[in-house]
Amino acid sequence: MKHYDCKYYLTIDAFKGLCKRDKTNITADDEACEHFEKAKMCANCSHFKLTTDNMGTCMQKYDAYPRMNALTCTDFQWS
Amino acid sequence: MPQPVEFLQCSATNYYGQAPKGNVLSREINKKPTPRVEKIRNRYFDTKSSASVEFPYWYTRKWEGLEGEVPIVRRAEALRAGFEHLTPSIFPGELLVMGKANYLRGSYPMPWLSEAFFLAKEDEMYKEALEAGKVSSDEVTTMGQGGGNVTKSIGNVMSIAGKFGMRKEEMPMLLNIAKKWHNKSVDDVGHKYEKMVPGYNTKEEIMRAVICMFDSGYTLPQGREVMNYYYPLQYGIKGIIEICNEKLNGSAGFPDMDRIYFYKSVETVMLGIQKWIRNYAEEAKFMASLEQDNDQLNEYLDIAERLQWLAENPPRDFRDAMQMVWTFHIAVLNEDAISGLSPGRLGQVLYPYWKKDMDEGKINKEQTLELLEAMRMKFTEIDCFASMGVVGGVLSGNTFNNLCLGGLTKDGESAANDLEILIMESSQTCDTPQPTLTLLFDEKLPEDFLLKGVETTKVGTGYPAWVNNRVAMEFILENFKHEGIELEEARAWAIGGCLETSAGSWMPLEFNGETHHIPGGSAPATSVGVHFISVPKVLEAVLYDGLDHRTGRRVYPAHGKKLETYEELWETFKEYFSLTVEVLTLTNNIQHDLWGKISPSIVNSMLKPDCLETGKDISHKGCRYNRTFNVEVSGGVTLANSLASLKKNVYEEKNFSIKKLKDAIDANFGYFTAQETGSFSLIEQKQTEKYENWLKIHTQCLDAPKYGNDDKYVDNIFREWQIWFAQMCSNYKSLYDEPLYPCQISVSTHAPLGAVTLATPDGRLSGTTFSDGSVSAYPGTDKNGPYALFNSATCYNHSLSQNSQLNMKIHPSVVKGREGSKKFLEMIKAYLRKGAFHAQFNIVDSRMLKDAQNNPDKYRGLMVRVAGFTQYWVELGKQIQDEVIARTEYEEI
Repeated sequence: MKHYDCKYYLTIDAFKGLCKRDKTNITADDEACEHFEKAKMCANCSHFKLTTDNMGTCMQKYDAYPRMNALTCTDFQWS
Repeated sequence: MPQPVEFLQCSATNYYGQAPKGNVLSREINKKPTPRVEKIRNRYFDTKSSASVEFPYWYTRKWEGLEGEVPIVRRAEALRAGFEHLTPSIFPGELLVMGKANYLRGSYPMPWLSEAFFLAKEDEMYKEALEAGKVSSDEVTTMGQGGGNVTKSIGNVMSIAGKFGMRKEEMPMLLNIAKKWHNKSVDDVGHKYEKMVPGYNTKEEIMRAVICMFDSGYTLPQGREVMNYYYPLQYGIKGIIEICNEKLNGSAGFPDMDRIYFYKSVETVMLGIQKWIRNYAEEAKFMASLEQDNDQLNEYLDIAERLQWLAENPPRDFRDAMQMVWTFHIAVLNEDAISGLSPGRLGQVLYPYWKKDMDEGKINKEQTLELLEAMRMKFTEIDCFASMGVVGGVLSGNTFNNLCLGGLTKDGESAANDLEILIMESSQTCDTPQPTLTLLFDEKLPEDFLLKGVETTKVGTGYPAWVNNRVAMEFILENFKHEGIELEEARAWAIGGCLETSAGSWMPLEFNGETHHIPGGSAPATSVGVHFISVPKVLEAVLYDGLDHRTGRRVYPAHGKKLETYEELWETFKEYFSLTVEVLTLTNNIQHDLWGKISPSIVNSMLKPDCLETGKDISHKGCRYNRTFNVEVSGGVTLANSLASLKKNVYEEKNFSIKKLKDAIDANFGYFTAQETGSFSLIEQKQTEKYENWLKIHTQCLDAPKYGNDDKYVDNIFREWQIWFAQMCSNYKSLYDEPLYPCQISVSTHAPLGAVTLATPDGRLSGTTFSDGSVSAYPGTDKNGPYALFNSATCYNHSLSQNSQLNMKIHPSVVKGREGSKKFLEMIKAYLRKGAFHAQFNIVDSRMLKDAQNNPDKYRGLMVRVAGFTQYWVELGKQIQDEVIARTEYEEI
């Protein structure tokens, strides 16, 4: 898994961010460390179904994509 | 292609006085922010502009589910969904939190406004837009290649609109959303109805030829205006919702029922903003739960508590008030593509809170300074997502959050206060582009306050700009008298955007047992209407019988005249210019009408008096003052210099004929074009082998009288243009049935508009920039010193126009020390006392700029004043860099 997919990833820009745990600078697409925890993202939600490589559906009626943040989504349910 | 022979006979920079010798002189004042803010600033320097699809995703998802709903309510629900779902990000060390998107320099596309420009260039929709002339300015614009701009796709990050990085995995969704808005966006629907305007084809040709820079309704429909923070400060969000509910009860079923939908919409968006704030509060708690450092942990908890409070209530103290102001500032920025959303006279708005905290010992000056520095960083982090032509060609990546200082109180006394002194100090210690500062000069302001302004200008950031309070009030009183403005209220004005004089009001803030009359904007967006007509390009069309020589396309109906007299030439110019304003006014009125129908302002409407009182949004003339549409031009001095050359060389001295001049223009006076040389100022141009053939005529053009030297010959031409222009604007009316008025700022448009314009009769070469601002001399042509320039600039009444703009470049040695400051202040006063509206200064050694152009990595923090805004050097396009280097550097004043 990548830093980008981690609960502790604080995004600064599209390339990089900080680790919320230890404040180190990290690159979004680098491999995550042993403290990795899954972030709330559509890909991790039971309502999400992948339809193509990078697109899917939410609750079978909305378009969605797997790596979309879902921290603020009230319908999010861990898959 | 012939080989270059030699450079144009110009020095590397234009100087008035002796060119400086020895080492490059750095700026005299060089301060630093607190370590905390220094860290934040360094993080900013290392951050790339990034766009997210999150807000547009939720907006569109909600919008689609509400088909059939009243449009403004549907939009409110969509906005609410966007706000509620924004992922909160809180960065370590921040004192103020919340941002437009989860990225530090985050923004997002708004496809409901315009969806075509951010699509991949090969996409069918982009081609369609290009064919219609909608994105032509993008094609001639250069974007700064350094700093935070993402100009190329790298790895998993795609470059979009020439500046923003977007995660690759978001692109399919962006295109998916864009396609959902195809034929539904303001841009597409507007385009359909624009075709009904008589003369529409001429409008399209004007856009394709880049005689006009862009359509205002599709690009930046709001902005260039002054915020009004009164309602959230006075009532809090819960109070605003209560007002809406009370008003709703008095509206339902009564005549004028549009009010119901407006109040319902405001309530809806306020609920979204409440959730947005609470999401940040939760994130602050989460960050606190991970924090080991006690001080940082307590700050996170303070932030969480403050946000929880502000999600419902009005501010209790200075820190609350700053957070509330910031939250609503970005709330407005999140409802539309906006540049130039100015905080206005923020030091006067916040003063009651700060004074109370100071009196009670809750805050001291050092803490205030750090908070103000932190605020500067938040404003600097704002990015505006728009097309490359707009962001690069007009804004140079700037967002124009203009903070005004000084001016007068409601009672006509000096409005300067100690918090404003600290605001100036914070802009010295934390010299960032935003917020830019403008000092509203009035003779009643204390000398120490003015000297603090001069000291700040000497930092070299280009701010504060200096504007004349009385000239602005005269403009306000004249243009808003029919809407009932009086002297007392005229004093509440401020600058919106870079230099747009905007009407304001005094709002009765009740705090700490007293009523404080705080100033705030009470007029909607200005610099909407006709956006940046290239007047030298209109003159070019006159010489070429209505054709755009660059594209070979017919723009205007052929005039068929021989142009045998100067009067005939001038009359023909006026005809073409008038036709341009006419068709652009009509089409822009349609654009803005549809903007009000499809994408009306709700947050900004709520804030602006008297929308909440009357239940009418901005697009229904809910604001107290509504005459804000204008006609913007670029290249006025290049026009005047060109007309002077034509008058003298062709008509009076008969040195050459129009035909011969056109031949010389076609040959670019024997030089390579700017596009060929890659240099966009008149210096460093390269001659072709045929240079000798055109030397004489070029010399005669260059030697013709030039504006900026107190030369009545050319100044009278400039004056005639100014007076005619001011008068002709009122012949055209906005969709609000209000006459237009002139606006004269170039922003960055003098570069891309110059790029598509042939050589001009004043000797300027093809593709090089025009004169900047509106009363700046063309670089290197002001040879008689600053006071001669001032006489030229004030040859007409500046209050006829919404603004005038003068840029000057001064070597740091000229204004060094306390005596230098006093001398500098006297010079500024002398200019403003002549009735001038505005002046701004780059205090810099031009050799440093040249070095920065060659070695950008050494100068990440270097800033310059362009035309109404300050920007990091490395984030400016080369066209503007060349122009700023070429400006005359004054070695004596």
